[in-house]
Amino acid sequence: MSRKILIVEDDASTSAYLAKGLTEAGHAVEACADGRDGLFLASEGIFDLIIADRMLPGLDGLSMVSAVRAAGIATPVLILSALAAVDDRVDGLKAGADDYLCKPFSFAELSARVEALVRRSDRAATEPQKTRLSVGDLEIDLLARAVSRAGRTIPLGAREFNLLEFLARHAGQVVTRTMMLEKIWNYHFDPGSNVVDVHIGRLRRKLEDGFPTPILHTVRGAGYRLAVEA
Amino acid sequence: MIRLSVTARIALLSIALALVSNLALVGFVWKTTSADAIDAIHLETTEQSESLRAVWRSGGMKALRQAIGNTVVPGDVSLVLAVVDAKGQTVAGVAPARLAVPLRPTQFRIARLGRDELWSARESAYALHPIGSDWLLTGRNLDLIASEERAIERALALAVLLSLGLGVLGGLVLARYVGRRLDAIASVIETAGEGDLSRRVIVVTEGSDAFDRLAARLNVMLGKLEGVMAELRIVTDSLAHDLRSPLARLRTKTEQAVLIADPDAREAALGGLLVETDLVMRMLTMVIEISRSGSVSRDRFVQVSLPDLLEEIAELYAPVAEDAGLVFTVAIDDRPPAIALHRELMIQSITNLIDNALRHGAGGGEVTLRLVHRTDGIAIQVEDRGPGIAEADRAQAMKRFGRLDSARSTPGAGLGMALIEAVARLHEGRFELADNGPGLVARIVLPI
Repeated sequence: MSRKILIVEDDASTSAYLAKGLTEAGHAVEACADGRDGLFLASEGIFDLIIADRMLPGLDGLSMVSAVRAAGIATPVLILSALAAVDDRVDGLKAGADDYLCKPFSFAELSARVEALVRRSDRAATEPQKTRLSVGDLEIDLLARAVSRAGRTIPLGAREFNLLEFLARHAGQVVTRTMMLEKIWNYHFDPGSNVVDVHIGRLRRKLEDGFPTPILHTVRGAGYRLAVEA
Repeated sequence: MIRLSVTARIALLSIALALVSNLALVGFVWKTTSADAIDAIHLETTEQSESLRAVWRSGGMKALRQAIGNTVVPGDVSLVLAVVDAKGQTVAGVAPARLAVPLRPTQFRIARLGRDELWSARESAYALHPIGSDWLLTGRNLDLIASEERAIERALALAVLLSLGLGVLGGLVLARYVGRRLDAIASVIETAGEGDLSRRVIVVTEGSDAFDRLAARLNVMLGKLEGVMAELRIVTDSLAHDLRSPLARLRTKTEQAVLIADPDAREAALGGLLVETDLVMRMLTMVIEISRSGSVSRDRFVQVSLPDLLEEIAELYAPVAEDAGLVFTVAIDDRPPAIALHRELMIQSITNLIDNALRHGAGGGEVTLRLVHRTDGIAIQVEDRGPGIAEADRAQAMKRFGRLDSARSTPGAGLGMALIEAVARLHEGRFELADNGPGLVARIVLPI
């Protein structure tokens, strides 16, 4: 589904790279290089997502996000910044951003986050709160915290359930390792070891052992996707 | 405006101070001397006029004249003592031939008594009292006081000259001393500004004067700066050096990938490039975290329950350890109250400890994450049964980029322990390595 995305980025090559990638993914992109212009465009309220750099001429990214929020605009904001320390991320999220991605970034990571953000805001706007999620023959009861596949109950630990719920809420989309670390464990750093893969591996065994079709797929170089694939 | 050197200003100030103090001293002497002399004359005049009037009352004019004659010392020009008639003419004693002051009862007054040569030059202090139809004049010429005042004024002039001389001399000596001390400090600062941080200011009086205190503080600052610069140099050198290997691998792999014709194989090769790039990124991020950790403010700290935090981390890492074939245990001796921590940095440090244990101590078959209450604080420790680190090598292992030769063959940049050390310091705690007999105990000790 096509979205209107605003890019506020003063580095011309990054801006062009982002615009190209997002346009190829089917979105309508508008870009500007100045924080004040960004605030002006954001105030029109016509965008589905804003991607903003932190260090901008005119008005810095954090101030711009604060101003956007102060103006009552709820458009999801993804901050894209070279300021990568834990405290920088916390500052960004505190200013009102919905997500924070550090430069240099992989386009797969950015794309996954963009999808997650716009989906979430869609859901918040239109769908009533779901109590059940289903992906193919996989059924997740969010109230009872019970999972079954093809009618067979799959016992999951609390963290495994959270992981599966997160993947199911973004069914069909790529979910990256860092997104999982952030959302499931609330860790805003890269541990560098294969912790997420180990947990996904265990979850995958529980979801797939004894079933003919795979459901949790590895997306090379990016992350994982929960989906029934032909 | 003329800009004076510090030396010239000190000299001028010293001259001014000497001048003011000398003038004040001499002025005070001049003032008190003059006032005291007048007071003495007042007393003398009063006493004399009273006693002579008593003589007149008891013995009449004859006795008075005799008394005056006895009192007047021939040649004493300072004394005024006479009987004058109603017209002001002297009939007996020492006084101007004709008085120029009004004839009326006078207790004590200073005025010029006569117009003739002898008396006109100076003022006199006098008293006039009627005796019958005549007047009794007592008093003193002030020429003596005047000459005393002249002497003091001469002393004053001399004092001014002396002050100027001493001021110039003192000022020059002082300015030279101060200038020399300041020059020594300035020269060290100048050299430091040019990049040589090894010079120090020589302390002259073992810190008992302000210059030495300034010098000592400056020396401490230079010492710290030198340490920081040396560390920075090591970090920069090590970073450049350690980046070369992954970048070289990156380059080789890219080159190979470009040459692969099969699309699937090329994609696999490109995936490998991303892994390599991430490694470099992680290294750089860690360097930034370490250097930033020193300036993290305490408002980033949140109350954290350590047992909960450790259990959470263990939950994340236990499957990883199990997959690596290790027995992973969490041991929490007691449950201390929550303490203020930088949660993210602390988690990162603890996961670094566990990662190290998994990587280097895996051969021992077991890893324990333990929370220990000690007399000096709370220790978060990770114990393994691997080869451990010899005591002599431990300091090296904790340094930034301080990889031991035995660890060179495994991935990592030698930054993990440096980060842990920096984070421990941020929490006013410490990081230490100990022997687990066999194996390694790596612990972060936090004060409580």
